[in-house]
Amino acid sequence: MGHFSVSVVGKDRPGIVAEVSRILFEQGCNIEDSTCTILSGQFAMILVIHHSKFQAADELGPAFDEVRTKMRLIVTVNALKDEEVVHEKAFAGHPHIISVYGADRPGIVYTVAQELARRKVNITDLNTQVVGAKDRPVYVMVLEVDIPEAVDMKELEKEFGRIRKELSVSITVRPIETLEL
Amino acid sequence: MAILPILIFPDPLLKEKSAPVERVTPEISAAIDDLLDTMRASPGGVGIAAPQTGLLKRIVAVDVSASKRGAQQENHGLLVLINPEILAKGGRQIVREGCMSIPDYTANIERAQWVLVDALDRTGKHVILESVGLEAVAIQHELDHLDGILFVDRVASIKTDLFRRKKYR
Repeated sequence: MGHFSVSVVGKDRPGIVAEVSRILFEQGCNIEDSTCTILSGQFAMILVIHHSKFQAADELGPAFDEVRTKMRLIVTVNALKDEEVVHEKAFAGHPHIISVYGADRPGIVYTVAQELARRKVNITDLNTQVVGAKDRPVYVMVLEVDIPEAVDMKELEKEFGRIRKELSVSITVRPIETLEL
Repeated sequence: MAILPILIFPDPLLKEKSAPVERVTPEISAAIDDLLDTMRASPGGVGIAAPQTGLLKRIVAVDVSASKRGAQQENHGLLVLINPEILAKGGRQIVREGCMSIPDYTANIERAQWVLVDALDRTGKHVILESVGLEAVAIQHELDHLDGILFVDRVASIKTDLFRRKKYR
């Protein structure tokens, strides 16, 4: 028995979820966690599933051959170790929202993400999009991050100050505080 | 005066609709004192509703001045609201809420930015008050309890808006 991650990507159209879930059902898989989104017309789905017998990815993988050809989906199956499966998003440090926006240019995500990685800040959610008029695109990135206790916020702010100048973007870091009711 | 035990989800009483208070009797006054003691005993606690203690009466208490962030905003200090009703609301805000009755989770919930509330105060006097910001969030959260609505019922996306607490402080 084991857990697997299954990712599905393909041109969006009705019926992808129906076909993928049919195969999982027929194989005797239990969907434990899943999410999906559509990016620029590409449907993307990731699921964590459990099977009472299967241990290896190649026991489940071939079941998707049918939708690989028929629906031209890219389906990847990976076996997970039980200890890798954590059911909820758990914060170890302090949750913050970082919003970044500015004229579109290469390297915005990379520069910000690199700075965060250097300080062992964990990105728990990331959304980016290009908005605004065609001739004046504005790049918007919103990150939810988990900032460890050890991170010096003044130092982080100083580095962001440098990035703001370097990329001409606005960067704001706000703590996510919980109202205890 | 007593600190009462808090009902924890999925206790079915939390999904019940509470009944209006007919008159502010000595028993109701004593129950309000207990609610306030219970609210203040919870770390960072800025609100409580009677049904969270198993008393299915339309009584809530809110005091956002008890939290650092709440104290920095416009607020009424301690509010005891009996038979409260929201007459009007406007704007929107998203605040991460935690609830004594759901100790393992917090969630980003969209609420009105401003509310106009009609209620009786703890002496039974009719009041109408305006509230904004965190206090308005606290009022909306507590009023929901009176109708058996929990913050998890208002979560737009469990994937992006619901968070498991590492520990409850």
